[in-house]
Amino acid sequence: MEQAEGLVTSAISGNGESPDALVVEGLYTGYGRKQVVFDVSLRVGRGEIVALLGHNGSGKSTTIRSILGLLPAQQGAIHYRDRNVTGISSSHRVRDGMAMIPSERFVFGDLTVLDNLLLGAGKERDEKVRSRRLEEVYELFPVLRERSHQRAGTMSGGQQRMLSLGLALMSAPKLLMLDEPSLGLAPIVVEQIFDTVARLARTEDLSVLLLEQNVGQAMRILDRAYVMRSGRLILEESAEQMRARDSYWDLF
Amino acid sequence: MFAAFDFDTVSQLTANGIINGAAYGLLGVGFALILGVTGRFHFAYSITYTLAAYFMFTFWDRVGLPIWPAVLLGVLAATALGVGMEQYIYRPLAVRAGATALLAIFVASLGLTIAGSNLVQLFWGSENQILEGPQQEVINWGDVAFLNFDLWSVISAVVLVSILAALMRWTDLGRQIKATRVNPELAEIIGISSHRIYLIVFAVGTFLAGTAAFWYSLKFSIDPAMGLRPVIFAFVVAFLAGTASSPIRVFLTGVAVALLEQYTSIWLSVRWTQTAVFVVLLVYLVVLAFEPRRVILSMFPQLAREKV
Amino acid sequence: MNYFDQVLIFVVFAVSLNLLLGYAGQVSVAHAAFGAIGGYAMGFLVVEHGWNYLPAVLLGALVAMIVGTVVALPALRLSVEFLILLTLAVSLVTIGIFTTFPVLGGTYGLIGIPQAEIFGYQLAEPRDWILPLLVVAVIIYLLCRRMGESAYGRVLKGLREDPDATRSLGKNVFAYKVSVFAVTSAMAGLAGGLYSGYLQLATPGVYSFDTSLKIFAIVIFGGIANLMGSVLGAIVVVLTEPLLERQPFIDLDARDASLIQLIIYGLLLVVLMMLRPQGILPEGFSIWRWLRGERGAAARAEMDAEGWVPDIDPATLRVGAEGSEETREREWHEAPVVLEVRGLSKRFGGIVAAQELDMDLHRGTITALVGPNGAGKTTVFNLLTGFIRPDAGSVKLNGTELVGTSPEHVARLGLVRSFQDVRIIPRLSCLQNVMLGVQGQTGEHIGKLFFAPRRSDADERHTRELAMERLRFVGMADFAHVPGGALSFGQSKLVALARVLVTDADVLLLDEPASGIDTKWVDTMLDLVEAVKHQGRTVCIVEHNLHVVGRLADHTYFMELGTITAQGTIAELTSSERLAEAYFGTSSVTGGGG
Repeated sequence: MEQAEGLVTSAISGNGESPDALVVEGLYTGYGRKQVVFDVSLRVGRGEIVALLGHNGSGKSTTIRSILGLLPAQQGAIHYRDRNVTGISSSHRVRDGMAMIPSERFVFGDLTVLDNLLLGAGKERDEKVRSRRLEEVYELFPVLRERSHQRAGTMSGGQQRMLSLGLALMSAPKLLMLDEPSLGLAPIVVEQIFDTVARLARTEDLSVLLLEQNVGQAMRILDRAYVMRSGRLILEESAEQMRARDSYWDLF
Repeated sequence: MFAAFDFDTVSQLTANGIINGAAYGLLGVGFALILGVTGRFHFAYSITYTLAAYFMFTFWDRVGLPIWPAVLLGVLAATALGVGMEQYIYRPLAVRAGATALLAIFVASLGLTIAGSNLVQLFWGSENQILEGPQQEVINWGDVAFLNFDLWSVISAVVLVSILAALMRWTDLGRQIKATRVNPELAEIIGISSHRIYLIVFAVGTFLAGTAAFWYSLKFSIDPAMGLRPVIFAFVVAFLAGTASSPIRVFLTGVAVALLEQYTSIWLSVRWTQTAVFVVLLVYLVVLAFEPRRVILSMFPQLAREKV
Repeated sequence: MNYFDQVLIFVVFAVSLNLLLGYAGQVSVAHAAFGAIGGYAMGFLVVEHGWNYLPAVLLGALVAMIVGTVVALPALRLSVEFLILLTLAVSLVTIGIFTTFPVLGGTYGLIGIPQAEIFGYQLAEPRDWILPLLVVAVIIYLLCRRMGESAYGRVLKGLREDPDATRSLGKNVFAYKVSVFAVTSAMAGLAGGLYSGYLQLATPGVYSFDTSLKIFAIVIFGGIANLMGSVLGAIVVVLTEPLLERQPFIDLDARDASLIQLIIYGLLLVVLMMLRPQGILPEGFSIWRWLRGERGAAARAEMDAEGWVPDIDPATLRVGAEGSEETREREWHEAPVVLEVRGLSKRFGGIVAAQELDMDLHRGTITALVGPNGAGKTTVFNLLTGFIRPDAGSVKLNGTELVGTSPEHVARLGLVRSFQDVRIIPRLSCLQNVMLGVQGQTGEHIGKLFFAPRRSDADERHTRELAMERLRFVGMADFAHVPGGALSFGQSKLVALARVLVTDADVLLLDEPASGIDTKWVDTMLDLVEAVKHQGRTVCIVEHNLHVVGRLADHTYFMELGTITAQGTIAELTSSERLAEAYFGTSSVTGGGG
């Protein structure tokens, strides 16, 4: 299992050169009166695959929704590629290369596969660029090419997951956040998806923040992991340290 | 009670049905688009219809513009009004009211309608106004008689709806509108601004209503209460077709409703036909109430945001 | 004097619509149509059949009530948009029907209804009508007030805000929906009979859609669930027109005045919604309370303070030493079975929510249900409580089969649940929220409310005491009069716990009792759940936080893909390699560590 090389430098260094795709400092967020996330700080370096682990309801999804800008940060700051994006709208963040795949309802079920993918291309006006990206997605997931005119909602769970990943990739993101991508999928499909993500991280300079309960599969591809419980970060470990554990039950 | 059932009568009724159906269909498409994408029960659709006619009239009669520029400006002014309602009233209200937004928007919409229709009477008077455009001619096609206006209104309706359908199917904007309707949360996640989409949808819907108002004004006259009945038909058509349906399907539902209205006159006296459509709506709603929820949810995906 | 009469008639219309719309949350634009039924029926009977006025009015009200009941039936299953459309259709069809029959006057309606005569007195002048109308208005007001501010009204409010949560507390919301439609349409029919008698007309113009909108506007102005507001609203709305005509500033003729009046209503409705969606006077507003300055301000200040913890009597939490895991497990096995689940199965299309699920809950113990995401745990709660009907299987509570029973009946039999998203009714006070949970309240039945008033009132006092007791138990007694919507998430969870406790149900299903609670007092919450167990109740919790499970559970079920694959103590479960694999996934497809 390859190790990502030397991406353990700290956040924003004095001379302005930041290798980090994402830095979150002291984030507090929630839904109205319901506070869910308390004082979360994390970072994702360029080309790194970082996992955010924790039990259901520990605040992982809420954290990434706040990173994307769907939820306001009540306290704290979010830096994306050396820019402070706290307070900037989510559509701007998406345009700058942030992408997220939610854990549920992650495709436009009533629309065709092709429509879904074209929607992912978003603001990209250049036809040539779009077609190229579409081709790349079809190369990654040939089944999508076969079913390009099929309604997304009629495909199997695994195929829909692939489509959701393809949708996200159409925007050529720099930071990809995945919310429980393995949910409800057969292990072989999960392996395929994770392998694809890992390959993209290495070759395309894509930074990945992965939320999972399925620690086992994630362990193969991640560089570092954070663990959350009841809205707070309780742990940060490298992949090696994680693997050395004999049980994960303590984390949950 | 039973009129003569002969081919001539049926053809004429069919023609009438298609002519009325074009209007109902156009209105239904506009309303279904707004309701389906934004979830707002835009009762004030009726006042944008009425004001389109009055604006056109004002540009033509008071300002003195030739008929076609006046019509265009009138429709555009009404469209601006519809967009303004979303921007300055519905949207701030939705943000403020949170969970009770649906009712609050409905009440605000109601208020706009009441205020609007009485403002119209105050400024333009309660008498009917006449819009004079091209010369009215009767066309006879076999046993069927209709006006040149009717022919143009049907053609323009079909053209507009086809353009909209093409837009929805093949352009980026159309995809974004469908995406917002089908899965608003995911649309937001991929960076589609629901704010912008709502404004566009209100613009399109109001424009269609304005067009329908024009043909009505040309054929009949302009009066302050002209908005109520057409918009009720808009609701009926939108609900019968389902707000998730393509524009073509909603349009055809409008034609079907109009044909129903016409054909019932064969068996029922005219007094009943007026009510017949509403009875059909009533029956439909009752049946809907006793159908499994699955059917309702498949027709109105925006209702599928339930927590169980 | 003319205006005073009209005010009184519109008071009856508005107050009854407020009961339907404001208390029960049923958005109806057909209220004037029910008035039309009453008015036309009265007119028809008097003109065509020579009936006396009073009996004709009463029969008109009866007919309106029957129609209202019929309309309520489809309304049971329809969401708000559809309900609006339904009442709109009813409105149009009703007027349409009336204009079609020549015997009802066709498009012109019934004109020339003879002057009304009550007990031998001719009501010739408008001023003759004042006394009868005043009597009726006061009676209707008092009736609506009694209904709205009683246990019955509390259920209406529950129906308005959250029908499912209300059903989970044992209330048959459908029955309430039908009864409130029936009663309020009868009142509207009565108002119609009076209005047509007063005007000596029953025409489509009188009962047009505009009239329904006018009544709707009065209710909205005056305030949701605020009957005094509706009275004020009726006065304002009826008097605006003559006031506009007579004011000295701008010269307005009658026609302009009536137009401006309507423009003002319309704009006011919009402005009102933008500023105060709940109406000018807030719900539950009472002049007396306002004068007394009772505002719960002190409680609110305390509540917003950092480091708030619930004010619980330490005696309730003193539970004695908890045994070891093994002891608790053994005690679990020894206790009798209260809830027996066998072979529970449910599919949603291709997704398996439950498959041959077997589970037992033992008396006086806490059982936990854990499992990886997507295992279907909350769905199990829905299946047990009747919110979803299983495809197969049986659920027996103390021997009684629950499958096939409605959720409200399941609750009444003694199985009650809490919700992951809490579902406290924001516009009710904490006390009222908890009172909603009490079973068998006399005042919930209209009949008993009016024919056994003393018993209903005594019962209401008793309900209040029970609710306060539970609020004290969870440490929220100081917040009794604070509206549910003002609470923090953790505080509302405490109130929700009090609410399920007050039902006195044998079995409590708690969905994630510890999630979202401030770490400062999450242990207190766990102590409370334990205290509940020690009172002899049977508890089942769904939890994702395994530390919470370790602390609370006497026995744990591990659920995977809709079925129980393991059970025992947490220590046993976490030491199983196979379970670790199921929960955390394998590190490679070929299995084994890596």
